[in-house]
Amino acid sequence: MSVPAIPAPRAAWFLQVAGLRRALGAILLLAFSAFLLMPLWTLLLWAVTERWLYPGVVPQQFGLKWWSWVFSNADIGKAAFWSLTTAPTVTLLSALVCLPAAYAFARFDFPLKRFFYVALLASNAFPKLGLYIAIAAFFFRLGLIGTFWGVVLVQLVNALVVMIWIPSAAFAAVPKELEEAARDAGASPLRVFFSVTLPISMPGIIVALILTFLGSLDESQATLLIGTPQITTLPIQMYTLVSSYPEPVGAVFSVLLATPSVVLLLLARRYLLAGYLAAGFKGG
Amino acid sequence: MPPLAVLTLLVLLPAFDALRFSLGWVPEDNVSYASGLNLIRSSQPTLAVFGRLFSSASFGRDLGLTLFVTLTSVALLTVVSYALAVYARFGRGRWVGAVRTLYLLPMFIPGIIAAYAITTFYGDHGLLQAMLERVGVQGYHSPIRQSWGIVLGSVWTGIPFAVLMLSSGLDGVAEEQIEAARDAGASFWVILWRIVLPLNLVPLLIVLTFSFIGVFGSFTIPYLLGPAAPNMLGVSMQLNFGAFRQPQVAVAMAVFSFLVCALVGYLYVVATLRQNGRRV
Repeated sequence: MSVPAIPAPRAAWFLQVAGLRRALGAILLLAFSAFLLMPLWTLLLWAVTERWLYPGVVPQQFGLKWWSWVFSNADIGKAAFWSLTTAPTVTLLSALVCLPAAYAFARFDFPLKRFFYVALLASNAFPKLGLYIAIAAFFFRLGLIGTFWGVVLVQLVNALVVMIWIPSAAFAAVPKELEEAARDAGASPLRVFFSVTLPISMPGIIVALILTFLGSLDESQATLLIGTPQITTLPIQMYTLVSSYPEPVGAVFSVLLATPSVVLLLLARRYLLAGYLAAGFKGG
Repeated sequence: MPPLAVLTLLVLLPAFDALRFSLGWVPEDNVSYASGLNLIRSSQPTLAVFGRLFSSASFGRDLGLTLFVTLTSVALLTVVSYALAVYARFGRGRWVGAVRTLYLLPMFIPGIIAAYAITTFYGDHGLLQAMLERVGVQGYHSPIRQSWGIVLGSVWTGIPFAVLMLSSGLDGVAEEQIEAARDAGASFWVILWRIVLPLNLVPLLIVLTFSFIGVFGSFTIPYLLGPAAPNMLGVSMQLNFGAFRQPQVAVAMAVFSFLVCALVGYLYVVATLRQNGRRV
């Protein structure tokens, strides 16, 4: 960065040599890239492997035979069914529950607004597994363990914050002047909302929907506690696959499971970053 | 407010129920509670469950592991993320763009897959060992199924959130301030410590608290990457609730983890409110 004017620590003398400093930086970057990428590279290799014996650095035999195995497995079909029913339900339900509240947070001042804000934040600051244990015990009494709706409800907890925060930021970003102009032109409040506010804030809402959908699709801890043994979604199946099947099966399955996330998140990447930074919280 | 109803039904009531149960009040109509093993029943609130929990050696070992993993992970995560965020903000050159994309990568990968990927690379007879052997390095000890395996997984999965959060703070640091300090002859470290860090304190606090809570209560990563015993609290809770049929012990641990994280979470809420107060 800059040449130090104060005496530098003795051990760091070489940092003042530009070439060495650059080399050190490059090594650190390389180490970081390897740290992030190598596990994924290994996984991708395993997914197209038929035989890979230690100590080979690459598989001895490539092939796709495990893909057909995974696709024809009945358990996995069932898991796919549950995943593809719970995730959309959670997404829709959370939108119904949260979007009006998000609008209220953005547009109105109401008593205890601060308190609700803190309450929401606090629910996000609960250690997740402890909360799931408490919910599971509570659901036993309600007969919700092992049911579709039990899984949907527990995943709703995770969706709350995402589904309120990002849309709320999006609603707040809509210029009030536009809404007022529409009102002056004689539009009803409902018409203003659907023709002005909603279209402008759509990107934020879509990001929230995507994040909620993916969060639900990838959720494993709560579903494991609440859903088993009847409701086994794809990530739950993964726990079994990891421990009791050969490596390629888990790898193929991982690639399949990660693909929707990667595709959807890449599509929404631009909005996503803005949404994350504006909201300043942890999602997923 | 429907979200508040959901919050009450799904967070407050269960938490309250758990608290009562851990204090010795066993609801007879709840089969999962009442049929548990080693129950402590009392008509008055009692701390006996916690007393037994804290005096058990296995809980002590679990707690020790949990604290070690949590603190190490948070420390490493913060240092690595801060370095990355500073680099992404102030760095020049063609690698900056690549790094900005790279650190987001784990966000796209579900935790359970990340854990599996890490196992295949770092595990016994994994690719890393094969590569080391190829260049003549023997005696590799896999961190998988050790406490360091959990640290590895936690740092890996925690990076996107931490870097994003820290970057959002760094974006607020004006270029002129840095330039002025540099003209006055301040070194890189002085600029970092005296100018960048104070302006960026709230996001840093949020990263620290959230990473702490996240790792402290994690399940998937320690379940797949951690040792068989002792377990981190999350795994231990799950085992006590399911396999060991000791719901009261599990619930008491949950309440304990609530308390620990409530303390840490309090910092987070205060920090967030201050940040938002300044922005609005």
